[in-house]
Amino acid sequence: MSFTTLKFTLNGEPIEIAVSPSDMLVDVLRDKLELTGTKKGCGKGECGACTVIMNGKAVASCLVPALKAADAEIETIEGVANGAAHPLQETFMDLGAVQCGFCTPGMIMSSKALLDDNPQPTKSEIREAIAGNICRCTGYVKIEEAVEAAAEKLREQR
Amino acid sequence: MLQEYYLPHSVADALILLKNNNGQARIIAGGTDLVIDHQAEKIKAEAFVDISNIEELKKIECADGVITIGAAVTHSEAARSELIQKHAPALAMAARSVGSLQIRNIATVVGNVVNAQPAADTAVVLAVLEAEAEVNSAAGVKYVPLYKMYAGVCKSAVDSTSQLVTRIRFIVPQRNQGTAFVRLCQRKALALPMLNVAAMVSLQGDRFAWARLAMAPVGPGPVRAIEAEKMLRGAPLTDETVEKAAQLALESANPRSSMVRGSREYRIGVLPVLVKRALTAAVARAHTN
Amino acid sequence: MSAVKREEQVVEDSKYNVIGKSVRRRDALAKVSGEATFTTDVKLPGMLYAKVLRSPYPHARIKRIDVSRAERLPGVKAVATHKNTSRERFNTSATMTFTVPHLQPVLDQYIFDDVVRYVGDEVAAVAAVSEEVARQALKLIEVEYEQLPAVYDPLEAMKEEAPDIHAGCHEGKNVPGEVVKIALGDVEKGFAESDLVIEESFKLPVQKQAQMETHAAVAQVTPEGTITVWSTTQTPHPTRMILSKVFNMPNSKIRVLNPPYVGGGFGVRIGCSAKAEPIAVALAMMTKRPVKIVYSREEDFTASDTRHGGYARVKLGVKKDGTFHALDIKGVLNGGAYCSFSSEVPGVMGTMTLAIYRIPNENFVGYPVYTNTTPCGAMRGFGNPQGNFPLESVVDMAAEQLGMDPLQLRLKNIMKAGEPWCLPYPCSSTGLAECIEKGAESIGWERRGKFNKPGATKVRGIGMGVGTHVSNSWPFCVDYDNAYITIEQDGSVQLATGVPDIGTGTSTSLPQIAAEVLGVELDKVNITFGDTANTPFDIGSHASRTLYAAGTAVIAAAKDARKQVLEYASELLDTPAERLALKNSTVFVAALGLTDSCSGSGVCQAGSGKRTSVTLQEVAAHAHLHNKQFIGVGRIVPPNSPPWEAHFAEVEVDLSTGQVRVIKLAAAHDVGKAIHPMIVEGQIEGGVLQGIGYALSEEIKYNDKGKQQNYSFHNYFLPTAEDVPEIDAIIVESNDPQGPFGAKGIGETGLVPTAPAIANAVYDATGVRFTEIPMTEERVFFGLQNKRKC
Repeated sequence: MSFTTLKFTLNGEPIEIAVSPSDMLVDVLRDKLELTGTKKGCGKGECGACTVIMNGKAVASCLVPALKAADAEIETIEGVANGAAHPLQETFMDLGAVQCGFCTPGMIMSSKALLDDNPQPTKSEIREAIAGNICRCTGYVKIEEAVEAAAEKLREQR
Repeated sequence: MLQEYYLPHSVADALILLKNNNGQARIIAGGTDLVIDHQAEKIKAEAFVDISNIEELKKIECADGVITIGAAVTHSEAARSELIQKHAPALAMAARSVGSLQIRNIATVVGNVVNAQPAADTAVVLAVLEAEAEVNSAAGVKYVPLYKMYAGVCKSAVDSTSQLVTRIRFIVPQRNQGTAFVRLCQRKALALPMLNVAAMVSLQGDRFAWARLAMAPVGPGPVRAIEAEKMLRGAPLTDETVEKAAQLALESANPRSSMVRGSREYRIGVLPVLVKRALTAAVARAHTN
Repeated sequence: MSAVKREEQVVEDSKYNVIGKSVRRRDALAKVSGEATFTTDVKLPGMLYAKVLRSPYPHARIKRIDVSRAERLPGVKAVATHKNTSRERFNTSATMTFTVPHLQPVLDQYIFDDVVRYVGDEVAAVAAVSEEVARQALKLIEVEYEQLPAVYDPLEAMKEEAPDIHAGCHEGKNVPGEVVKIALGDVEKGFAESDLVIEESFKLPVQKQAQMETHAAVAQVTPEGTITVWSTTQTPHPTRMILSKVFNMPNSKIRVLNPPYVGGGFGVRIGCSAKAEPIAVALAMMTKRPVKIVYSREEDFTASDTRHGGYARVKLGVKKDGTFHALDIKGVLNGGAYCSFSSEVPGVMGTMTLAIYRIPNENFVGYPVYTNTTPCGAMRGFGNPQGNFPLESVVDMAAEQLGMDPLQLRLKNIMKAGEPWCLPYPCSSTGLAECIEKGAESIGWERRGKFNKPGATKVRGIGMGVGTHVSNSWPFCVDYDNAYITIEQDGSVQLATGVPDIGTGTSTSLPQIAAEVLGVELDKVNITFGDTANTPFDIGSHASRTLYAAGTAVIAAAKDARKQVLEYASELLDTPAERLALKNSTVFVAALGLTDSCSGSGVCQAGSGKRTSVTLQEVAAHAHLHNKQFIGVGRIVPPNSPPWEAHFAEVEVDLSTGQVRVIKLAAAHDVGKAIHPMIVEGQIEGGVLQGIGYALSEEIKYNDKGKQQNYSFHNYFLPTAEDVPEIDAIIVESNDPQGPFGAKGIGETGLVPTAPAIANAVYDATGVRFTEIPMTEERVFFGLQNKRKC
């Protein structure tokens, strides 16, 4: 198997790592870089647990060949808190949006990609943004509330 | 075993890479279906040629009344494109309905066609727009109409080890024309359609000048409702006409039974409903266009 | 819950300092920052990766298995089959550890057997240096199968000519364990005395837990032979007992723990996480290296327990005035290829369905039946939804025939506290009438029947369903609980309990209970949980019991520790212990009150010479310097208390496609007492959405070769965020006299009466009664068509 050096920006830091052409981004993050905050719930892009932000867009990292991330800006859950918890993290904690927690990192990444782009999302835009993130615990009710509340917090901060 | 992953910056380079690998390299765009098929060993390749970094393929353009969608344009980009929303809202809607946002942010519209899934949402709309694909290979460029893109169920007429579809293009719908897309699925996200139908109509006063209807999955690719289209040519804009078209559409459809996505009987039962809804919506759209 | 309701809650809870408040969960920060460790994240030096070879056939004998080529593949360290692993029979479910005599647990599994009984059954496993190498090695294992006849439907499997799936079924063809029979009064006489008898048959689907983290385990064996297993189990202690039996090792030499988080459960891993733990241990013993196994999502679907599908028949006898007089229920449940909890699930189906109403004559018979499908075991509700949908549909049918409002008919018949019922413990409390009243108000019950204009293609309707459940599994099986509370030398508190936190928030609510009883601030309490090495025995997180049973043990431990503290402080304060109180981490003379008393370092101490209060920190430090520590132990057998719930659904049915959309679901739940209201709401909301899935879209089907057709999130239609209706979770507090601070179980009730509420709403909208769920667009479409033909 041949290895190629993959260069990209991970949570603001430049990264260089040897990967094989068949490696998926999720496995490089979890196994090689030991950033296990990105979860793997299906490996087929059907559950959203592995969601990361690539060049500003939420993507399922289990469907992204690692080498596709060449020169990309990748953001994972580990990079979301910037000194202090991100408003999304705050509202997820305070409004009961966390239960088993396995979907939580992906859910937050999808929500963050939304709010980075759209500070005043409608309910249906929030639902569209997280529809690819399966949560079996919460019924999504409190997650939706947390995203709405975080959007409001972020607007106040601006 | 995959040995190389190329990210060329031009179409010419991509074609050279295909040629140099003698059929062992395969084009990848979004790859959301391809990587799963590759992991399941349903397809074999020694190299992937990823076209998503080719600038000229990332564009949606409109020139001389023709809209062109590059092969690296994602479903999200198509769904949010003002050009497409304005001129072919049905295509925007179809692009929005695929998978989930995480998928739509990577998966490409052209890939949705080249992958040759029988129920591909954008393909159904592209079928009524009578789109054609720009296919590049060592032999040069040719234009292939959408209906010729399918070689069988889940089988594309495009050979991604030697050919590269660079763009797909269609004529912008004119005044008095409208498109619509309807979809029946078991949940609102992460679901392939049980059935989807696209309609495009051209109106002349209180009559249909012509209409195009495409349905899926009722055959290998989008299937045109030929009989219904024939009847609609010049027919009056009435509920009876629409009802008749809906019933005639069944003559062109041959749905299969799926334990997951509905029996043949159910699909036959509701197809006319979807055709009616699509036609009605397309007419409404044409009135405002 | 609305802001107004929250305010009411706050006022009412002012008598408590810690409980009744929605404090920030202790696991929240770790989980939102990605730092929470799950089994799938565990990585050890030298760790190997396991993959399992699974049967492609529904029923076959393994004539020959040759693993030599696989063993020779570079990177492969061991291949396990039925030939080189334990021949100890077991049951992957915890039932084998807590079945009470005279009943005997059904032990019908080996790690690997020479007969495979469903598509996906374990044939062999490989441990290799990477998952990829292990996967390649599986292809090199040669297996020759002799295919055997297979059967997939429980009614077919009960017929004499059906193939035997296991030997030793003495209660009936392919019936494992016992046929479950429950009787009260004389049901035949009851029907004879009834004015109206309604009988209907129902068909029930196979639902999947589909928890987000797939089954996983990491096993490590030390040179001395002790075993540590990190896993996704909901029951660390019983899982240890299972492993102890399978590997013939003392309990004490095995440690089972969660690391500490588990990505959901919903019943699927009460006991082992499918076979993840035994396979990982077997391979770790063979290779002397740590071995990790993570199920793929497809394996999780096809090779771990599902909810039981099957058949139910309900016969209800009613007097003219609407009084229920006789009820007879028969259940035939598909148990799949191995018994798992199949001996217990029919019992819960029966008792929970019979317990809702006051009916003098009741009868239930329930058959678990082996078939060649994926094993069926525990899933949230544990048989209750399978009985509730049929009964609550029949109650609506009765109301219609009587010309009564189904809500009034229910109110007339629902169980009352202290009334006789079929259960072996008393009905200690019920807030069901209040649930019905509040749910009806939320949905706007008075609008029922006034929605639809003739000729409309989309019609609306409203329906309801009610139910109950348990708060733990006593006295149906072994159910006891222990907790330790250690007052540390600085007055902080260490709580140890054997229950895990599978996402339900017990690692927050149990410390709340400890802090409340002890009279300390919540942030002084730390909790150790889900680890057999440093917590006392407990049967785990299931049966809606975690807060109720473990909470009862925590109260006992906290009271014990508190008593020790007060006794010790009585000497310091020169006051009898019974006249002392402990609040805000301060021991004080109760009669003087905390605010009036002196802190110990103030003027009054110098002035009077006699202290009236002392901080817990001082007491603990003083004790430490005198060679003493306060260690509270709670050892309890929990009682049992019934939670109650009423669901109201408003639906819209598209008559031309058959699609049903839930507009709103109001779920009013008598939870006894909400220790953490936000967690309780979360349990209700999540349960309701699973209930909506059960009613409308979730179903695993098998084709004629026994292969699952719905084995991924792509083709198993659980709801996404875009499918959620308005859900109104309403908390009703009946303050149960037995539960911890009045609390009752809340983990499962969220999905119990959801399906009948929706089915009754669909009937209200369309006039068509659906007796098979899920009510997919196709079933509804043809149901409506058949009605038109009539």
